[in-house]
Amino acid sequence: MLDFLFSGWGAFWVTMGMLLPFAGMFWYVIHRKSVVDSGPGTTPRAAMSRLEGYWLTAVFVIFVTINLASLKFMPIIATARAATAGPPVQEVAVTATSWTYEMSSRQVETGKPVRFSARAKDTQHGFAVYHPDGRMLFTMLMMPGVSKPTTVVHTFSDPGTYKIRCLEYCGIAHHGMKDELTVVKSNAAT
Amino acid sequence: MTIASTIIAGTPVFGRMFSVDKSTGLEEINAWPALMIMASFIWLAVAGLLGLVMPATQMFDLDSGHFYTTLTLHGAALAFPFSFQLMVGVGLHRSGGCVGKPITGWLPAMCFITMNLGAALLTVAVLMGFKVSLVVMFPLPLVGAQMGIWSMNAVILGFTGIYLVLACMILLYPLLGLSMLFFGKKRQDLVLSERSLNDPGMLGMTLSALTLLIAGLPLVVVGTTLLLALYGVIPMSMAAWAAEPVVFQYCFYIFAHNLMEAMALMVSSAMYATLPLYLADGTRKLFSDKLANTALWILLLTSVTSFLHHFITFYPNQPASLSYWGNIMSWGTGIGAAISIFTVLATIWQHGLRAEPGIIAVLLGWALYILDGASAIVTSNVAWAYVLHGTMWQSGHTMTVILAMSLMWMGVLYHHYPVITGRKLDPALGTWFVRLFTVGGFGAAIAMLAGGAAGMPRRFADWNQEGWMVYGHMIMIFGLILGASFVVYAYNLLQSRDLNEAMGQRVGAT
Repeated sequence: MLDFLFSGWGAFWVTMGMLLPFAGMFWYVIHRKSVVDSGPGTTPRAAMSRLEGYWLTAVFVIFVTINLASLKFMPIIATARAATAGPPVQEVAVTATSWTYEMSSRQVETGKPVRFSARAKDTQHGFAVYHPDGRMLFTMLMMPGVSKPTTVVHTFSDPGTYKIRCLEYCGIAHHGMKDELTVVKSNAAT
Repeated sequence: MTIASTIIAGTPVFGRMFSVDKSTGLEEINAWPALMIMASFIWLAVAGLLGLVMPATQMFDLDSGHFYTTLTLHGAALAFPFSFQLMVGVGLHRSGGCVGKPITGWLPAMCFITMNLGAALLTVAVLMGFKVSLVVMFPLPLVGAQMGIWSMNAVILGFTGIYLVLACMILLYPLLGLSMLFFGKKRQDLVLSERSLNDPGMLGMTLSALTLLIAGLPLVVVGTTLLLALYGVIPMSMAAWAAEPVVFQYCFYIFAHNLMEAMALMVSSAMYATLPLYLADGTRKLFSDKLANTALWILLLTSVTSFLHHFITFYPNQPASLSYWGNIMSWGTGIGAAISIFTVLATIWQHGLRAEPGIIAVLLGWALYILDGASAIVTSNVAWAYVLHGTMWQSGHTMTVILAMSLMWMGVLYHHYPVITGRKLDPALGTWFVRLFTVGGFGAAIAMLAGGAAGMPRRFADWNQEGWMVYGHMIMIFGLILGASFVVYAYNLLQSRDLNEAMGQRVGAT
């Protein structure tokens, strides 16, 4: 459930989950107070203040809950943990140049963390990895001239051919800047 | 007759829409705003035509270079000379009437010239091959020239244009706004609706001007250095620090992000000022000025540093702590929005609403802005940023914030139009505009967010893969509906009638 929530479509439905109650409330208040009865409201000021308190508390609780739940899914945390401890990491060094990728390896194994360390040589580039079912797993932003590579640690669970795309506009052949990564079953797992 | 009135009078078609009323003695607060508003609609027409070219290049399989040309021009024209200039025009008119000061002299003239000349130079540069998208994507402009994709002349021309536009947005307009608020003598004959700085309708304008000025200064310094080097005034080695991609990008986003927040502050303020004028019981007061002002302050304080969310996927070059900070501050803006939602709905609930097209446009624009805000805070969460950054989600967010503010300002313009021109607009056409804009705006926004959720890349000339074209078709259909709404709005402006003339039955009138 939480896995879905912190995917692209999860983000979409959370956004709709914020929009739809607001849209309903918005339509109801405007319709009621401009078409049905535009006369002054009879709700006492104290009741309105209580409502304000409930509303702001609800918003605050929802916001905090969502953000706390997201901690587990923040790639930054997995990346930082892998830098200090954890299972052996497969290293993939990436260099992006308009409009190709140079990669130290195009094959990794399932179940083992992979550290992607990416640099841009000429201009800004992205490095986004798409699951074979079309979902985007993660993306990275690279800028030239920085001392450290942009880094993400990701553990693949499904074997298959994963597409790689640049998601930072990098000129007239930007849409053609893509590559592939093969994920095979781990020997340890078989 | 002022220069501004003369230019309007000499402009075909658009001049008819905004010819200034000289009978009221208010030409000093009407003329320059009217000229800026007129120019913004000319740019809207240009942007609309360019918007049609984007799907056409994909449908007819044309050279992808055309897609990137129109992508750059369409985005830049909508964001700056249309949306921002519309805000400047209507906002200045509002300020002038609230503080009773004329909008005359060199500052409004320079605002107008720098914005429109800058946008025109950028357009020429893009037509010369300079395709960098509206956010410049530095160091792409220089790399493109090195690779021979476009010429160095196009880069210099493009940078000059961008610099002039920025000079208007960061320096001239804020200085004009602040000088009107704090300096000069009030003239009672120009006061239309007096307001103090404690009024939520004025506070947002002040905060907005200060935000633009302060958040934009680093970019002015970087831009000036680069431009001086490009023109050979200083050696390139002296500008090397400014040409560092990280320096440029951070300065750019401190400004660009806060530009959107400043525009949001400004338009929220305009809504707080306009809504009370349409309350059914005639109270002309918000539910709570204190709450409204609190929302503005929270929005300001949380938004200033939330720009860090633009670089979450740049880890570890942007340290994790800064990304978390950007995440938390972005969601903090949501608290400001929640207070604003309560204030607006409570005001309407307690006092009723006269549902005229202008105020309904303002309210629906604000509702669209709330949708945009929800999409923005979601993508600012560190976990979601990794699966949404660089996708159509971001384009949807950028487009929606511009559309929302445009709709709000177009709604506010309904209120100001009779004062500026001495003519009135047809409410039936106004209602049709609002209906079409709402369907087109919400539809395009949701379609783009869905495309982003599906992983569809932004600024990408080849949508016809992975099933993304379904979102492309939806974006095009809703985009056409949006275009139709603008045509209705423009037709209404063209058909405006003298204030004393009876309004006949028009399209859709009941």
